[in-house]
Amino acid sequence: MTVWAVILLAGLGSYLFRISMVLLAERVPLPATVERASGFVAPAAFAALAATGIATAAAGTDLTQAVPLLAAAAVAVIAVRHTGRPYLAVVAGMPTLWLLTWAVGAS
Amino acid sequence: METAYASATQQGRDPMVRLFAAGARAMLPWLAGIIPFGLVIGVSAARADIPTAAGWLTGPAIYSGSAQIATIQMLDGGAAPIVIVATALIINLRLVLYSGAIATHWRGTPRWWRITAPYLLVDPSFVVGMDGYQRHDRLDFGHRYYLGGATVLWLAWLAAISVGATLGAQLPSGLRLELIIPLYLIGQVVGRLSDRATRRAAVTAAVIAVIALTAPLHLGVPLAIVAGLGAAMTVREVSR
Repeated sequence: MTVWAVILLAGLGSYLFRISMVLLAERVPLPATVERASGFVAPAAFAALAATGIATAAAGTDLTQAVPLLAAAAVAVIAVRHTGRPYLAVVAGMPTLWLLTWAVGAS
Repeated sequence: METAYASATQQGRDPMVRLFAAGARAMLPWLAGIIPFGLVIGVSAARADIPTAAGWLTGPAIYSGSAQIATIQMLDGGAAPIVIVATALIINLRLVLYSGAIATHWRGTPRWWRITAPYLLVDPSFVVGMDGYQRHDRLDFGHRYYLGGATVLWLAWLAAISVGATLGAQLPSGLRLELIIPLYLIGQVVGRLSDRATRRAAVTAAVIAVIALTAPLHLGVPLAIVAGLGAAMTVREVSR
């Protein structure tokens, strides 16, 4: 299966989810557990993807490359935790990464 | 309170056009959060080891930011196709809930509406749309309001992805722009950690994702999401 087929299949499935209850004449009540769990999908997915992204980038590198990455992630967490502003994760994290990568390379 | 219809008649314009515009205006505050996300997805589409056009296609095809990120990231990592599709669908399962809630307003609508309107259904258009049905007594007014908000969202989303993909392809690779995505996601998660169940979902998912980093077929991500959900559900609802 190609990249394109994966994207189109995921898209088709998502569309079927969207139209599912519209096609059913009467609303099928979903279990309360499912309704509640759906509220946690976004934070769980975001956390899993963020952790995978950072860990994949850090894995297989030596310490000089891993430290700037992990420090950037840590700075991002701290910045958002202290200010409550989500965009600071990128605004503070990327410069940290650049700065430390440069510092490690220069030393 | 002055209704959109009353103000429309006063200004002598077609109320349906006014309602479409009112829905579009109600979407504007959402765009502030949506546009950076779209830019980030565009950049990731350009940086990932897949055709940029394929990454862009996740926009119109999947049309849900978190599922798009997962799809692009897992395609880039070389995960098994079935695992990627399953992960995107787990993330998008919430759309069934939105569908169920908004479908109560769409009974008896023409077939073209029942085919196209759900395509535009995603978190912001759901919230704006439901609000529209609450504000207006007449269903057709609500439909216009939903359509206005959902159309603006769709256009802004695809535009943001396009700009991100263009920029991402041109900037030097030394900037390590691929790390914007995990950092952006960290910001989104950390901003929501005040709730105990959400905190448990996020921490569990992150830990499992790292432990399962080398899991076969890249099963780590869907596994981590499901584990996060399970952990959140162990927190009793009253404890928030």
